[in-house]
Amino acid sequence: MKKPGKGSTPEDRTLKELGDLSERLKDLSGRIAAEKSERAESQKPPASLSGATSYAKGYRLASEFVAGTLVGGLFGYGFDWLFGTLPFGLIVFLLLGFGAGILNMARAANRVPPAQERLGSNPPPKAAYDDEEED
Amino acid sequence: MANDPIHQFQIQDLTAPVSIGGYEISFTNSALFMGVAVATITGILIMATAKGSLVPGRLQSVGEVWYEFVHNMVRQVLGHEGKKFFPLVFSLFSFVLVANMLGMFPYFFTVTSHVVVTAALAIFVVGLVVVVGIAKHGLGWFKLFVPHGVPLAILPFISLIEIISFFSRPISLGLRLFGNMLAGHIVLKVFAGFVVSLGALGLGGIIGAAAPLAMAVALTALEFLVAFLQAFVFAILTCVYLNDALHPGH
Repeated sequence: MKKPGKGSTPEDRTLKELGDLSERLKDLSGRIAAEKSERAESQKPPASLSGATSYAKGYRLASEFVAGTLVGGLFGYGFDWLFGTLPFGLIVFLLLGFGAGILNMARAANRVPPAQERLGSNPPPKAAYDDEEED
Repeated sequence: MANDPIHQFQIQDLTAPVSIGGYEISFTNSALFMGVAVATITGILIMATAKGSLVPGRLQSVGEVWYEFVHNMVRQVLGHEGKKFFPLVFSLFSFVLVANMLGMFPYFFTVTSHVVVTAALAIFVVGLVVVVGIAKHGLGWFKLFVPHGVPLAILPFISLIEIISFFSRPISLGLRLFGNMLAGHIVLKVFAGFVVSLGALGLGGIIGAAAPLAMAVALTALEFLVAFLQAFVFAILTCVYLNDALHPGH
């Protein structure tokens, strides 16, 4: 009853507290680091999403190609309708549209840099180019 | 009728037909579900932001994840300048996502399974790219179609191909969303129809119906994924295209 406890003299307590504090500080910085890396991880699209996107990717490639050819054909038909050169405009623009479809596809698959990047002088943020392959 | 896989996409007038100047503008089931989608988004977001507590509750978490998902997407693709477009991208993403998800309910109408709706959204996006590009860069924006360092002899062809490629954007953007939703719902309906017609054949048929039933269940899961994925793709491509308006060649 006389002594409350061996380790609780004033000096002892401050020492212990200091030890505690540095321990807690270490603990806290460890947790902050973990949280940070976790956040960085979560900024990226989740893994399940990028795995499932192969379906979306395939569909995207197909639709890019079809759209390019379709627009080429429409342009050709419009050209012929304006100038009365029926088969020729359609032939030329359909082929050009085919080319545009291939270009679209190559771009969607990240084989060709986007137009503005190829132009040089003012490259867009890198992320734009990276993200295009995500979908 | 029950087994007709196309029946679910029929537009029906909900009120007496109304027309102005030869155009029918009746209130249809499509319009109803667009309204429902907007009401759902507004309702969820208003409820999510009503409390605004420091430690978010369940609904507030949904709102925050929703917001941050789109916000990160816009920031990563468009950078700092893109903040102006965040409301637009958020609205597009939310509308497409909620319309797709509403379509997953039995007997609900899928707004995005009609090419009119998706093409309108896509044309709006690409039109906006042109307007913003010209407003920001003047006629210099058209340099987007004239790549550097191409020999003069083939430059016209390259430009033509670039122009066609640009015009194919709204088509691929709209067609992809429409095609995914239409095809998914038809396939789902066809497999569900197999279950019904096999089940009517007696005991052997009921046992055999287990296979298409399993397929229908698996496809339902896939459709939920596609519903989200297509909204995501639509939104991120909107960002990628808007990036062309903000950062063309020069």
